[in-house]
Amino acid sequence: MIDQLFGFLSYYVPEIISIILMTTLLVAEAAVKDDQAPRLKIHIFTQIVLGVVLMTLFMNLDEKPLHIFHNAVTIDPFSTLVKIIMTLGTMGAIFLSHSSKDIYPNLKSEFSLMAVGVLIGGMLLASANNMLTLYLGIETLSILSYVLSSLKRDDSTSTEAGMKYALYGGLSAGIALFGMSHLYGVFGSIQFVDMITRVQGLQGLNLAIVMISFVMFFVGIGYKISLFPFHMWTPDVYQGSPIPVTSFFAIVPKMAGLAALVRVSFVFFSEGSALSVSWIGLVLVIAAMTMTVGNVTAIGQTSVKRLLAFSSIGHVGMMILGVVVMNEAGVQAILFYGLVYLFMTLIAFYVTSHLSDMYGTDSYDVFRGLIYKHPVMAIIMASVLFSLAGMPPFSGFIAKFNIFSVVIQKKHYGIALVAAINSVIGLYYYMKLAKTMIFSKPQGDELVLGFSGLNQTVIILLFIPVLFLGVFWDSAMSLAGNASIFIK
Amino acid sequence: MMSLTSYLLISLVLFIVGLVVMISRKNIVAILLGIELILNAASLNFVAYSRYVTNNLDGHIFSLFIIVVAAAEAAVGLAIVIRFFQIKETIHIDEATQLRN
Repeated sequence: MIDQLFGFLSYYVPEIISIILMTTLLVAEAAVKDDQAPRLKIHIFTQIVLGVVLMTLFMNLDEKPLHIFHNAVTIDPFSTLVKIIMTLGTMGAIFLSHSSKDIYPNLKSEFSLMAVGVLIGGMLLASANNMLTLYLGIETLSILSYVLSSLKRDDSTSTEAGMKYALYGGLSAGIALFGMSHLYGVFGSIQFVDMITRVQGLQGLNLAIVMISFVMFFVGIGYKISLFPFHMWTPDVYQGSPIPVTSFFAIVPKMAGLAALVRVSFVFFSEGSALSVSWIGLVLVIAAMTMTVGNVTAIGQTSVKRLLAFSSIGHVGMMILGVVVMNEAGVQAILFYGLVYLFMTLIAFYVTSHLSDMYGTDSYDVFRGLIYKHPVMAIIMASVLFSLAGMPPFSGFIAKFNIFSVVIQKKHYGIALVAAINSVIGLYYYMKLAKTMIFSKPQGDELVLGFSGLNQTVIILLFIPVLFLGVFWDSAMSLAGNASIFIK
Repeated sequence: MMSLTSYLLISLVLFIVGLVVMISRKNIVAILLGIELILNAASLNFVAYSRYVTNNLDGHIFSLFIIVVAAAEAAVGLAIVIRFFQIKETIHIDEATQLRN
């Protein structure tokens, strides 16, 4: 028994390393106090350890699906790939936090500490195999996110963002938990494996309770990935938080929530039962609404952070179309989209962050005539905007194309049309920003100082996959394909 | 002898009261109290189901975890409310209007 538990620990190495890293950072943060010199060392140490986590995750990528710790946690290629995306996102956000002026210098190690904490929550959520793990994952993710979004603590907008996040988050977690409690009562177990066997035999009142409970449960996950009726917090929190935190929120909690949504959908609704038809219908309607609301509202924004928030809502709406089709190809499309979205989002936030640090605002005007001041960065940013809009030859096109192809294969023509219209709307506001960068004259003739050599190198390195995956997508697609095989 | 139905009714009432408190009250601390009511409703459900229906300990353990998480959430929530109060000198939710379209 004990031997078995220790054997399981060997599959849990990435999480264990992350937890040790978080503890170490907590102690180190307390030790350095206001001394600035060691912070660079702490930063480098964090990146190295996260690199080790990434390596161990890559080593886990070939494992067969395995339920460990009494079925509490699943280790399978799907969850491992999601964890890889989340770890890359965390590394990117922590790198950005180090050069950003949006985070107080004496809070920089604290940012890494809490980002790693959120990453641990995300890992828990991505491999959750019972309701308790899922709830703990959501809460670990959320509670630290509240702190992160109010990290700029003397700033009233940041505090307000944190407060709104905490109130909405508490409400949705409570509703999800109430749904879970009734699911436990009807199924008699919190383990997914026990619950699946009883899904088919439900009748009458029990079926009604389960349906309502699943809708409540959906609120909790839908809030984390900001699906339509629960998206109101997203623009406020994204705008109020410091930019590194925003870039972090756009990737890590979203991927974790998506992974949980995919797993729950596949565990409970893969058969053609009455329950599964209504679940797919629900996700379909929510996806259409999410895309439309995200893209239409993005048009009128003047703050680039807010624009990226709405665009991320639109992208998530697009991604959950992969859940609607309920097959491996859908999951493969989601994973590929997530990987591409990671790089595009990081670059967009990097450029926005450096410009907003320089001018002290994140409105459209700071992008005015960027091409005259900094041609390389302007071209990269414009390409990323094209990629986000889904234009060939960039990787965003392939990601969108995959989603469209799986949806059309399943003959959901209506939703494909909605997605196509949304892509056109997206093209409009992304191109508006690109036009501001390229065709407007700059306001002043001061030089952009924010882009140091290191920052530029990292942005260019991140740009390589955006370009590369748009032309040679085979390797990434087969990676995502391998990860999606065992999802059922 | 209490039956399962009475527990479920009480928890449903708690849940609805929590929702109404969250929607209608303007004081942020009162809203946090509403969240606690909702969490307690879920917790009560878990224990009641565990006792009357499933006869396993899953529900009891779940409710213990809920208590721990609720404490952590309240701590973070109150800390943020204190910052909000120090900046705005009020804890009225209608004062949180800086982030809007």
